[in-house]
Amino acid sequence: MSGNGKNTYKIALVGNPNVGKSVIFGLLTGKYVTVSNYPGTTVEVSRGICKGLNGHTEIIDTPGANSLIPLSEDERVARDMLLEDYEKHVVQVLDAKNLRRGLLITTQIAEMGLPAVLVLNMWDELLDKGMNVNITTLQKALGIPVIKTIATHRVGISTLLTSIPSAAVSNFSINYGNIIEEGIKQIQNVLHISTRANKRALAIMLLSGDEALEDTLRGKLTHDSFKNIQRIRHNVQKHFRNPLSYEINIKRAHFVDALVERVTTTSTKKRESHPFMRGVFFYFLVPAVSFLIGYKLMTLLAFLVSSWFQPGDNAYFAASCIAGGISSLCFSWYIYSRERKTKSTLSEILGSITMHPVAAFPILIVILWGVYKLVGAFGAGTCVDFFESKIFGSALTPSGGFDIAIPIPFFDTSYTITHVNFQGFNYYCGLLAQKMVSKDNILFELFLHEQFGLIQVGLTYAIAIVFPIVGFFFLAFGILEDSGYLPRLAVMVDKIFKRIGLNGKAILPMVLGLGCDTMATLTTRILNTKKERVIATLLLALAIPCSAQLGVIAGVLGRFSGMFFAIYIFIIGTQLLFVGYLSSKVLPGEPSDFIMEIPPFRMPKLSNVFIKTFYRIHWFLKEAVPLFLIGTLVLFVATKIGVLSIVERVVSPVIKNFLGLPLETTHGFILGFLRRDYGAVSIFNTLEENAGSDGIDPRQLLVALVVITLFIPCLANFFVMIKERGLKNAFLMFAFILPYSILIGGIVRFVLQQFS
Amino acid sequence: MNETYLEEVLELIWTVEEESGKVDIDVLLKRIQVPKAERQIKTLAQNGLIKITNKSVAFTKQGRTNAQVIIRRHRLAERLLNDVLAVKEDTMNSSACQFEHFLDEEVTASICTLLGHPTSCPHGRAIPPGNCCKNASKEIRPVVMPLTELRPGDTAKISYIVTKCHQRLDKLSSIGLLPGIQIKLHQRQPTYVIQMGETQIALDNTTARDIYVRLI
Ligand SMILES: Nc1nc2c(ncn2[C@@H]2O[C@H](COP(=O)(O)OP(=O)(O)OP(=O)(O)O)[C@@H](O)[C@H]2O)c(=O)[nH]1
Ligand SMILES: [Mg+2]
Ligand SMILES: [Zn+2]
Ligand SMILES: [Zn+2]
Repeated sequence: MSGNGKNTYKIALVGNPNVGKSVIFGLLTGKYVTVSNYPGTTVEVSRGICKGLNGHTEIIDTPGANSLIPLSEDERVARDMLLEDYEKHVVQVLDAKNLRRGLLITTQIAEMGLPAVLVLNMWDELLDKGMNVNITTLQKALGIPVIKTIATHRVGISTLLTSIPSAAVSNFSINYGNIIEEGIKQIQNVLHISTRANKRALAIMLLSGDEALEDTLRGKLTHDSFKNIQRIRHNVQKHFRNPLSYEINIKRAHFVDALVERVTTTSTKKRESHPFMRGVFFYFLVPAVSFLIGYKLMTLLAFLVSSWFQPGDNAYFAASCIAGGISSLCFSWYIYSRERKTKSTLSEILGSITMHPVAAFPILIVILWGVYKLVGAFGAGTCVDFFESKIFGSALTPSGGFDIAIPIPFFDTSYTITHVNFQGFNYYCGLLAQKMVSKDNILFELFLHEQFGLIQVGLTYAIAIVFPIVGFFFLAFGILEDSGYLPRLAVMVDKIFKRIGLNGKAILPMVLGLGCDTMATLTTRILNTKKERVIATLLLALAIPCSAQLGVIAGVLGRFSGMFFAIYIFIIGTQLLFVGYLSSKVLPGEPSDFIMEIPPFRMPKLSNVFIKTFYRIHWFLKEAVPLFLIGTLVLFVATKIGVLSIVERVVSPVIKNFLGLPLETTHGFILGFLRRDYGAVSIFNTLEENAGSDGIDPRQLLVALVVITLFIPCLANFFVMIKERGLKNAFLMFAFILPYSILIGGIVRFVLQQFS
Repeated sequence: MNETYLEEVLELIWTVEEESGKVDIDVLLKRIQVPKAERQIKTLAQNGLIKITNKSVAFTKQGRTNAQVIIRRHRLAERLLNDVLAVKEDTMNSSACQFEHFLDEEVTASICTLLGHPTSCPHGRAIPPGNCCKNASKEIRPVVMPLTELRPGDTAKISYIVTKCHQRLDKLSSIGLLPGIQIKLHQRQPTYVIQMGETQIALDNTTARDIYVRLI
C-alpha cells in the first residue's frame, strides 16, 4: 500500500445518506454537485480532480448508503464503485452525532481492506446536542486517521486534505462466531477470481445473500462455484433461524456499540434556542403565521368559488379575518401548550409540526399557495409577459419600451424612475436582417417568422419561459429542499402512495419531477423494488408536468378563474392515482416497506440555494434551448414542404372530431413530442389566434392542456427512461401514454360538454 | 427426575419435526442429550405419546398436546429471560430448560399475558398459543409489545424483531434498528416516526408491527 507513486490512487467519498459528502466533494474539487437536505440527493457518481493534493488525484462522490450490501440501486452504485479494480483511498463521511450508524459502514470498509480516513462531519450539530466524541480514542481503536469537520463552514477541510495520503487500513476485525466464520472460509476457498477486492469481504457479502454482487460476479465465476456458494450458504443458514445477513449485522452492531460507548460522552447541556427567539416564535411568529394560514385558506376557498364572494367585499374580508383568528387561536394554543415546557429548539418544533397529523396539512396548502403565487402568478404571469413582449418583442413592430417603477403600496400607483427605450431584442434583429434581405426572403422567415422563426419563436419562448418560471420555481424549491421539508411530505403521503403501489419515499422523485422529469427519473433509483421504479417512472412520464409546463398552464388558466386551474389539477391528480392504482394491480411484485430517515429541519443556506438555482437554470437552458430550436425548425421545414398539412389531415379525426380542437393545434402536439412546455405555449397561442376577439373557450383550452400534460414524455426524459428502464419498458410506456392521453382528453371534453 | 427427561425428549421431537417436517429416529438419537435415550423413547411409545414406524417417529394426539404445552413453556421462558430479565443468550438457553419444568398452567398464562402474548421465541420459532392468547384483552399494558402499541412520547428498548420479510430485516438492521437499541415514539399518525439516537425514522404500520419493544 505504500512506497508507490503519489497519484496512483483515487479518492472515494462514501458514507450514510445526507451526511455532507457532496458538500465536501464541492470543497475538495471546486465543482458544484447538488446539495440538499434529504437522503438520496446524489444518485450517480460524480468525478472531479482534487484541488490541493498534487493536481491530478481523481475524487469520486457517491450516493449515500447505509450498508455496503445494497438494498436499492443508488446504494448499489456506491458499493460497486468500491469494488472497482483500482487503488483507492476511502474518505468515509459520518454524521458525528450519529456515530453509531456511520461506524456500521466503517466496519465494512475495513473488511474490504481499503485504506480509509474517517470524517466526523456536522461537528457543530454534535456540540449543539451537548455531545462529544473522543477523537484520539477513536483513532487508536480503529487505527485510521479521524478528522472532525463542519463542511458547511469549511472547518477542518485542510486537515482532511493533508491526511488523505496517510489513509490506513483499519486493524480490527470482527469475529462472527464459529459457524459463520467457517462458512466465510469455505466461500473464500471457492472464490477463484483475481480481484483487488478483499476475498473475505466478498465472502461475507455472498454469505449475506448479496444478489447484486452475484450479478457482478456472474461472468467471472463458473456455474459450479455458484452452486457451491449456494450450498455453503444454505448449510450455514441451517444453524440460524434469522437470515444470515441479519445475524452478521447484529454482530457488527455489537462491536460498534461497544466502541461508541467508549468514545462518546454526553456531558454538557444541550444548546437551546435563544430566549428572545423563543419569545418571538411563541408570541409573534406562530400566531401571525397561523392567522395567515386561516386567512389564506379562506381566500383560497373564495378563489375557487369566486361567484359567491368578490375580492374586496366586506363579507369576504370579514370571513377571512374570522378564519384567521380561529386558526391563530387554535394553532398557537396547541403549540404553546405542547412545546413551551419542552427544551426543544425551534427547528425541532418546526420539524415536528410539519409532519403533525393535523397541522401539517394547512401548512402544506399555504406552502403550495405561496409557490403558486411566486411561480405561477408572478413568474409565469408577470415575468413571462415582460420577457416575451418587452425584452424579446416582435421582429416587425417595436415594443414601445418599458418603465422602471417602484409601486407605492396602498395608493395603487407607482413612482416611475425612468423609461427604458428598448424596443425588443427581436425588433433589433429584424432591423438588422432587413438591411440584408427582404421580409419575404426565406432566410428572414427562417429566423424571424411570426410562427416558425427560430429566433422569433424558438429562442424567445425558450428563454422567456424557462428563465422566469424555472428560475423562480427552483428558488422556491431549493428553499424547501434545504430546509428538510420534502421528506416530511413522504410521511404525509405514505398511506395514499401505498394504494398506488409505491411508498412515501416515492414523493421525492415525484416532487423533483415538478422541477424536471428527466432528473426525477434518475432519482427513482432510491426506490427499493423494480416494480416501484417502473410505476414511478410511468407516473412521472404521464402525469407530472415539469415546472415550465405547469407554470405556463397556471399562468394561462389563472387568467380565467381559479376554478379551471383547480379542475385541471383535479383531473391530473385523479389520473395519477388511477393509473398508479391500475399498474400496481397489473405489475407483478410486492410494494416495499416505508422505512425512511427524516433529516432535521435546518435553516436553508441562501448561498447554496442560489448556486443550486443557477446550476439548474443553466442545465435547463442547455436542455431546452436546442430542443425548442429543433422543434421550431421541424415545423418550419414541414410547413414549407407541405408535410404539415398532410399530417393535419391525417390527425384531423382525432384532433378535430374527438377532442374538438382547431386543427392548427396539431403544431402544438408535434412540439409536445420534443418539449411539453413548448407544446402548451404553442397550443395556447393557436387557440388565442383562432378565437380572435371572442376570447378563448376555456373548456377547449382545458381539454388541450390536459392532453398535452398527459402527453408523451419530452425527448430528454424519454432517453433517460430508456437508459434507466430499458428500451422495451420505455417503449411500452410510450405506447400506453400516447393513446391514453388522447382518450382522457376526449372524456374530459365529453364531460365538460354536459355542464355547458 | 425421569419425568423431566421424558419432557426433554418430547420437546426435541417437536423441534426436529418443526425443522425438517419428519423425525428420523437416528437423527433424534444423535441429537438427544439425556441419558439412556433409547429407553426414554421406548417409554414414550409405551405411554402412547409417540408412534414409531419404520424408524420414523410421530406424535400421537395425546403426545402432541403434551409436547405443545412443554414447548410453549420453554419458549415463553426464553422470552421472559431474554426480554424482561435481559439474560445473555447462553445462560438463557440453559435456564429456560430448567425453568420450563416448574411452570404450571396458571403461571404460564400470566407470563404470556405479561409479555403481550408473543407469537415467537427469541430464536424466531413459533410459540404455540394457549387459552390466554385466544381471549386476550388489551386491558393490561404488557411489558413487551409491538411498537404500534406505544403512545407518543414513550421511550422503549427494542426487544426483538419478528418478520418473515427478509428485506425488512435487512433494511432495519442496516440503519441500525436492532434489539437492545433505545427508541422514542414521536408520532403515530400519518405514519410512525421514531427517534433513534439523533436520527428520526419514519416507519409504516406493517413494519412497526413487527418490532417488539419493552417500555422503560
Ligand atoms: N449543520 C451542518 N450541516 C451540514 C454540514 N455538512 C453538510 N450539511 C448539510 O447537510 C445536508 C446534506 O448535505 P449533502 O452534501 O447533500 O449530503 P450527501 O451526503 O451528499 O447526501 P446524499 O447525496 O443524499 O447521500 C445539506 O443540507 C448540508 O447543508 C455540517 O458540517 N454542518
Ligand atoms: Mg450527495
Ligand atoms: Zn427458542
Ligand atoms: Zn397468551
